[in-house]
Amino acid sequence: MRFRASIENPQTFFRIIQAIEKLQKKCIIKFTEDVMYIICNSEANEGGIQVWSQIKIDSVFTSYRIQSNAANVITLALSSETLLAILRSAAVPSKSTSAYETEEIVMKLAKKNDQAVLSFEISGMTRQGRRVHVSHDVKIEVMKPADVANLKEPMCPEPDVHIILPPLQKLRTIVERLRPMSDFLAVRANNNGRLHLSIQTDGVAVDTEWKNCKNTTRAAGASQEPDPETNDPDQLFSVLVSTRSFFKFLNSHVVSTTTIACICQNHCMILYVYVGDLADAGGVLTFYIPGQILGD
Amino acid sequence: MSDSQQPPVLKASVHDLRYFSTLLRGVNFVNRATVTITQTGFVVVVEEARTLLATAYIFSEIFDEYTYNSDSTEQTVAHSQGSDGDESQKLEENAAFEISLNTLIECLNIFGTAGNNSTAKQGRFTQWKQDGGSDDEVDADEDDNARGKDRRRSTAKGIDQYFGGSGKGTGMRMSYPGSGYPLTLLIMEDSAGPTTTCELTTYEAEPHLELPFVAERTVLKIILKSSWLRDALSEIDSSCEKLTFIGNPPPDTAVNGRQRAPLRTSIAPLLRIQASGTFGSTEMEYPNDREVLESFECIQPVRFSYRVAHINRTLRALQSSSKTSLRIDDEGLLSLQFLMPAPRKPNKPDGSSDGFIEFRCLPLDDEVH
Repeated sequence: MRFRASIENPQTFFRIIQAIEKLQKKCIIKFTEDVMYIICNSEANEGGIQVWSQIKIDSVFTSYRIQSNAANVITLALSSETLLAILRSAAVPSKSTSAYETEEIVMKLAKKNDQAVLSFEISGMTRQGRRVHVSHDVKIEVMKPADVANLKEPMCPEPDVHIILPPLQKLRTIVERLRPMSDFLAVRANNNGRLHLSIQTDGVAVDTEWKNCKNTTRAAGASQEPDPETNDPDQLFSVLVSTRSFFKFLNSHVVSTTTIACICQNHCMILYVYVGDLADAGGVLTFYIPGQILGD
Repeated sequence: MSDSQQPPVLKASVHDLRYFSTLLRGVNFVNRATVTITQTGFVVVVEEARTLLATAYIFSEIFDEYTYNSDSTEQTVAHSQGSDGDESQKLEENAAFEISLNTLIECLNIFGTAGNNSTAKQGRFTQWKQDGGSDDEVDADEDDNARGKDRRRSTAKGIDQYFGGSGKGTGMRMSYPGSGYPLTLLIMEDSAGPTTTCELTTYEAEPHLELPFVAERTVLKIILKSSWLRDALSEIDSSCEKLTFIGNPPPDTAVNGRQRAPLRTSIAPLLRIQASGTFGSTEMEYPNDREVLESFECIQPVRFSYRVAHINRTLRALQSSSKTSLRIDDEGLLSLQFLMPAPRKPNKPDGSSDGFIEFRCLPLDDEVH
C-alpha cells in the first residue's frame, strides 16, 4: 500500500475539514485515483446528519501517487480534530503570527511503531532564511475492503424541489437567532424561487422568506415528464429538520460558493455544497439531513 | 381581515430598527416585559426581585409611521373628536400586554443588523468634539460646556446612522391587532433581500411593582454626563456587593456661584460612590465641578446603599445613553434616568424624539445590610 501526495491547496483542504470537524470528531476518508471522499456517517450525529463529499484530487493535491491491493483505493478512519489542527498549522502560516512560511506539504502513509499513521511533512523558510521542517503524524485506522463495501450512502427518493440557497453566511446569522427559540426548523421551498425558513413554538412564530432564488431543474425537465400533480410551481414542499443539525451544515459556509438544497417532502433534505465555482467545482460536500416527524 | 370592522390597535413602521432595538436592550435583564402602547409611544416595563423596576419610554416620533387606535370603539370616537386635554382617561384605555423581551430582541436582530454598534463607535467620535459642532448645536447656556460637547457627539452618531459603514438599516413594520392577538413584526433588510415575519405571543399584562417617585421628596438630584457615571461603575470589582451613594450639600451656593477650581480641594466632595465587598472597598469622589456634575441639588447629607447586582443592570442602558439624571428621595428610593439619543431626522428638531430609560431601585436596609 503506497500513498504520497503534496498538498497544493492547504487552505481549501483546511476549510473542508473545518466544516467536517464541527459535525463529527472522527471521519472516514477514502482516497481513490482521482477523487477523495470524506464521509461522516455516524449514527450518533445530532439529528442523524451525514456528509458524503467528493473532492477532486486535482483541486487539492499535486504529485499524487496511490497504490493498493484493493483496486488502488485506500480508506482510512481518523480524527478530524487532529487533521484540522495539522492543516491549520500548515495552511495559516502565511500570516504574521507564524515564524515560518510554508513551501511544501507532503502527505504520506507510513508505519511508525507498528501504528499506521498519515504523516504530514511541512517544509518552510523562516524570515531569517533558514529552512524548517515540521512533521505531524495522525494515527489512522486502515479500513478493510469488506467494511468499505458496507458504507452506503443514504437512499433518498427523487427530490420534490431543487433550489439554490442564498449565501450561507446570511442563513447562518438567521438560524443562529432561531436556534435558541426552537429545536425544529421547517424548510419549505417551491419550484418558483421561493424559500422559507420557519419555526413555530408556543411563544413565537418566525418565518423568513426569500423570493427570487434560482431553481435548478436537473432531472425533471429532461428525463421524465413532470407529474401533473406536482406540476404547480407554486406548491411548497416542506421538511422539518433539527435546528442544530441545520446549523452544523451551515458551518460549511467557510468553503461554499454555491449550495443547492433539495427537499424530499417530509422525508429529508439533501444539500450540495460546491467547493469552488459551480461550473468548475473542485468538489462537492453532500449533507443529508433526515426529516423529523413530530408525534401529533 | 380585521380592517373591515376594527382597525388594529397599533401599526408602526421604521426604516432603521436599531434605535428601537437599543432601547429595548437597555431593559433586557428579565425576559418577561410589560408593554403598554399609547398614543405617544411605547412604555416597556420590567422588574426584578420586587426591588428594581426598569422602564423604557419609546416615543412614537422615532417611527416613520405610527397609528394607534384604542381598543374599544367608543374610545376611538372620543379620540377623533376630543382634544389632547383628557390625558388621564386616555391612559386608562391604553393597550397593555406582556411579551418575551428576549425573543423580541432576537427577532429584531434576525439579520444580525440590530447590533449595538453605537457604543463601539462612541470612542471614535470623541475626537470630533472640537470641530464637529454645527450651527444649530450652539447652546444658549454659555457655561454648560459639557452638554454642548455631548450634543455634538450624539450628532456625529446620528449622522453615522445614515451614512455608516453598515449601509442601509433594517426596516421593520409592526402591528398589533388587539388583546389576545400576537404582535406581528415584518422585518426586511432591503427590497431585494428576504423578509421575516415574526408573530410573538402576547400574554395578559399582570400588575407589576409600583415605585412612585415623588418629586417633592427628592433629597438628591444630579445630572451628569453618562460617561462619568459609566467610568465610575466600571471600576467596581465584580466581588463587591454593596454600592453606596453619598451626597453632601454644596457648602454655600452664594460663595460657590462662580469660582470652582480654587475651592475644590478644601470642601467636602459633593458626591461619593462607595462599593464594598468581601475583599475590600472602592471609593470614588466627584469634584464640585460643572464639567463633571452638570447640576447638583442636595438639601441634606444623604447616604443610601444598593445592591451592586441591581445597579449593574443599568449598565447596558447607561452605555448607550448620553446623559444621566440621578435622584434619591428621603426614603432612599433611587431613580436613574438615562437619556438615549435618537438618530436625528432631517425634518425633526434635535432631541424631540429622544427616548429614555428609567430605573428605580429600593435601598438596602441599613441595619440588615
